[in-house]
Amino acid sequence: MTQIIFIDAKWEGIITLEDKLKNYLQKNKINSLALFASVQFSDVENFIKELNKINIKVNITKAKRTGKPMQILGCDAYHDSFETPILEESDAVLYLGDGYFHPKALLLSQVKNNKIKPVIMWNPISKTIEVLNEKIIIDQIKKYKRNLRMYVNAKTIGILVTIKPGQNYFVTAKKLKEFLEKQGKKAYIFVDNNLDLRHLENYPFIDAWVNTACPRIGTDDIVNIRQPLINIKEAGNPIKALEELEFRN
Amino acid sequence: MYSLELEKVISEIKARNSKQVLIQLPDGLKPEANKVIDAIESQTDAKAFLWLTDCFGACDIPLGLDILKIDLMIQFGHNRYWKTQEW
Repeated sequence: MTQIIFIDAKWEGIITLEDKLKNYLQKNKINSLALFASVQFSDVENFIKELNKINIKVNITKAKRTGKPMQILGCDAYHDSFETPILEESDAVLYLGDGYFHPKALLLSQVKNNKIKPVIMWNPISKTIEVLNEKIIIDQIKKYKRNLRMYVNAKTIGILVTIKPGQNYFVTAKKLKEFLEKQGKKAYIFVDNNLDLRHLENYPFIDAWVNTACPRIGTDDIVNIRQPLINIKEAGNPIKALEELEFRN
Repeated sequence: MYSLELEKVISEIKARNSKQVLIQLPDGLKPEANKVIDAIESQTDAKAFLWLTDCFGACDIPLGLDILKIDLMIQFGHNRYWKTQEW
């Protein structure tokens, strides 16, 4: 059997509180931060000490599927993704790293909150600040609400399952199929490795789809397809999911 | 720019006496692939191969490697993923 090992590939630089970031935080009167990072930038002991020295409290939590506190994964895009509600408890959210994929998860995890706090992104390599706010996920939220409504009314459901080991929920898919069929609906399970949503159009008899793999397929990729698709987390009670999002335009 | 930890990689391959190793890299590290392969093949008895396409995270590990008699897979850029029972 194949053995597996993981290499963090950490950034070789030292993460420090540069003046640019320090001035931004002080100018915006930020007294507490919810701090997150990708694993490449997770050596932050000195960085936190520097923040504490200027009276900024740093809050850290552990996400469900990570091994280390403060680390964030792309699937940490739900309200209950974290052990403690530091996003609500902090003045601002700070992400160390590059790219939008992980910071977007932090925005998505707040969609049920009255206010979505922007994510301050600090790139330790380019030493740049960028602020990501809810505008970047507005289209996704609108589409997701529309998909939920169509799923509620759908008579025939397609359930997507991946064989990727970390994203495989085949048993859950079978339970969902049973649940839907008890409600008088038809359900079919589709299996593949990479779930390429361009293939959904080959199955015109499917009214709506449920993704059981990475939840970002159900949030990010849906804007590129016509077919309604939601994530497994909402598939058991889509009405409740709609009620929780109804206030959000 | 990113620490490939090649000493650790070589050490793990030697400790496990691996003969065929598959390397998986996220997009940002793919340009470094040749350095990893060259290091492995010059410093161990193992043959090393590269996973061509995407690696979205530690949740995304290729299956069926036994068919190719790959005895060790090394994924860079991610640490271990703890899958939950349900969503």
